[in-house]
Amino acid sequence: MSEHILKTPLVLKPFDFLGKNILAVSRALKSFGEYILDVVHALLTPPFRFKETVLQLNLIGVNSAPIILFSVSFAAAVTILEYAYHMKLVIQTTALVPGFAALLVLRELGAVITALLLTSRVGAGITAEVGTMQITEQIEALKLLSVEPVRYLVIPRFVATILSSMALVVFANAMCLLFSMLVSISYLGYSAESFISAMNHFASFKDFLLSIVKAAVFGGVIPLTSCFYGFNCKPGAEGVGTATTQSVVTNAVSIIILDFILTYLFSYLY
Amino acid sequence: MILKPLVGILDDIGGGLLFMWDLLKTAFRSPCERKTLLEQIYQVSMQSLVTTASSGFFVGAILSVQFNIQLKEFSALSVLGGLATSGTIRELGPLLIAFMLSGKVGAYTSAELGIMRVTEQIDAMRCLGTNPMQHLILPRFIGIIVSSFFLLLAGLLMSVLGGAVMAALVADMNLMEYISGIPTFVTWGSVLNGLFKCCMFSILLAAICTYKGYTTTGGAKGVGRTVIATALSTMVGIVLMDWFTSYLSRNLFSVIGVGSV
Amino acid sequence: MSLEIKNLKKKFGERTVLDGISFIIPPGDILFILGTSGTGKSVLLKNIVGLLKPDGGEIWLDGEEISRLSEEDYFLIRKKCGMVFQHPALFDSLTILENVAFGLRRHYPNLTEEEIRTRVKKFLSLVNISDVEEKLPQQISYGMQKRVSLARTVAIEPKVLLFDEPTTGLDPVTTNAINQLIKNLSRTLKTTSIVVSHDMHCALDIADKIVVLDKGKVVEFGTPAELKKSKVKLVQDFLAEVH
Repeated sequence: MSEHILKTPLVLKPFDFLGKNILAVSRALKSFGEYILDVVHALLTPPFRFKETVLQLNLIGVNSAPIILFSVSFAAAVTILEYAYHMKLVIQTTALVPGFAALLVLRELGAVITALLLTSRVGAGITAEVGTMQITEQIEALKLLSVEPVRYLVIPRFVATILSSMALVVFANAMCLLFSMLVSISYLGYSAESFISAMNHFASFKDFLLSIVKAAVFGGVIPLTSCFYGFNCKPGAEGVGTATTQSVVTNAVSIIILDFILTYLFSYLY
Repeated sequence: MILKPLVGILDDIGGGLLFMWDLLKTAFRSPCERKTLLEQIYQVSMQSLVTTASSGFFVGAILSVQFNIQLKEFSALSVLGGLATSGTIRELGPLLIAFMLSGKVGAYTSAELGIMRVTEQIDAMRCLGTNPMQHLILPRFIGIIVSSFFLLLAGLLMSVLGGAVMAALVADMNLMEYISGIPTFVTWGSVLNGLFKCCMFSILLAAICTYKGYTTTGGAKGVGRTVIATALSTMVGIVLMDWFTSYLSRNLFSVIGVGSV
Repeated sequence: MSLEIKNLKKKFGERTVLDGISFIIPPGDILFILGTSGTGKSVLLKNIVGLLKPDGGEIWLDGEEISRLSEEDYFLIRKKCGMVFQHPALFDSLTILENVAFGLRRHYPNLTEEEIRTRVKKFLSLVNISDVEEKLPQQISYGMQKRVSLARTVAIEPKVLLFDEPTTGLDPVTTNAINQLIKNLSRTLKTTSIVVSHDMHCALDIADKIVVLDKGKVVEFGTPAELKKSKVKLVQDFLAEVH
């Protein structure tokens, strides 16, 4: 078949490549835009599916809590230890560790690591679930029963993930601070009171609130991209595998980039 | 209630270790072809280079902004370059970039192997007289270790660049000024520490994704499950490995006498 | 080459899939294994080629007990005993030519490139396929993939051919073509064949012997003519499908 198609001259190859890619990207952007409009529409108009949302809250928030809190605590402990090393290098003292640790946890670590873990624990799960529904024609069946798939599938997950992410970050921050305190006590010779009073000197309630804002943004992105990849799943095991992988990657990259943007914006607020 | 997941985890770890033992035996008894291996390394590196490099850039940038805010209060901006770079290379850089790789390389490979498993390609391979451990798993395993290591390195280099660019934009720092501050704080110990971490993360990633992919069952749904399990277990594994390597290098490097805490 | 199964047992965890299966196939015969979904038909085939290890019982191929062999020793068994999978299971990174040549390269290392090429062409034409050697599996239709998969298995010239639901998910026309192909291949290559299927119609048409499985046990074993007189409920249900 390929020999019937006119061969592109070598000189034009880059343009060919560029044009095809631009077309593909703009097509994807168009369908993503339409999808977002659908989501906004379904979000603002009744009926709302409260029961399903609560169910998802349990699935997403409660069930992911143990593994996420466990991992976040470990990450925090290591980071604080490494942090103490820098402190020693720069100012020859570990006196500022509690304050700086608290800032790092509240401003970066807590929200980002929680979000990245949610990406694989929840995001991949949503894509696999919706993708399987897509290839087994359950989505088509929903449409035939005049149920909007976006309202039925996306909205409960969207709302539930945002709320879960915000709640999880509160707990994750608490665990991180607890672990950095434990590390400081056992490695750097702090007592619990001295750690907390040193911490209070730097960290403020604003840092805590802004970390929840970050969590809400990340929590919103994850279900949106995950469901989108799920809806566009190609048939077969291959389709589900590819969609799930792509959703994990896209989510993780967008979280890092969003985090950069938010950090930059918040740097004027701190 | 708590017992069941625990048994599942132990089951996974045991299965994974047996799988690794099998792989090790295969590696010594019947190593894979060099050509397949090189192809794997090339493929994995090329398809993930852009993602890893760009996320490395942003990780560096984020940390540079953070450190900038904190150091401004002490008017100690002259150390920004050294501090941000050291912090990125020793700890957060490898951790966050490895998180990226767990999706890009880990999930991808386990999905690929899972698809081959559920569409019976692996069984067909065995029936046609080829050992899948030798021709499929081994080149991927080694390939992922090698290319993840290089990808992590590339990500770390980009993170230094990202930090420098952000410092120039946010802190009005001259690029040269930033870079000249780096060697003061980034000791060989830090670099070794970072490399050691990258190395361990790569091995962990390769082990988990080949094992999970190879043991997939249950059609399209099964492939979905495998990808989720791989992404999650590599991330958790990386966090644990992070702690372990920090602990190890703390004791190891002080014994060898390379500058560390 | 004759094949005998004696009291074969296989469990997955708590679930017994094969519960003491026994039958014998003389050389050159076509045996159909029928049964409802989930009665362990595929598992039985996978036990024969050593993809799964039985928990009990024996498998005799050409006067040799093979179920206890190691993975390395199975290399020789798999040259004598080829399996066609339910999925086409073609390697999607390889061309059709390379797919069919895959087994040839392992089992006949002395063949030159030229010889491999001619053999691949010959076996592809046996399954009525030509001019797609350089394409990738995704570029040809599902029915064609199935036939290429058949060619890939018969290319190593096994003496026993195992088919795992060769016609599931195909349209009636292709189904018929594949069934005729199985019959012709078995006759021209003089192989012993075992076909796992739900298709009673085709079983009555081309089988020499039929085994009916239910809940891991053999409930009926005989020639098509004998089967038609069977008193077993499941067999009668299957026969009712045909009429």
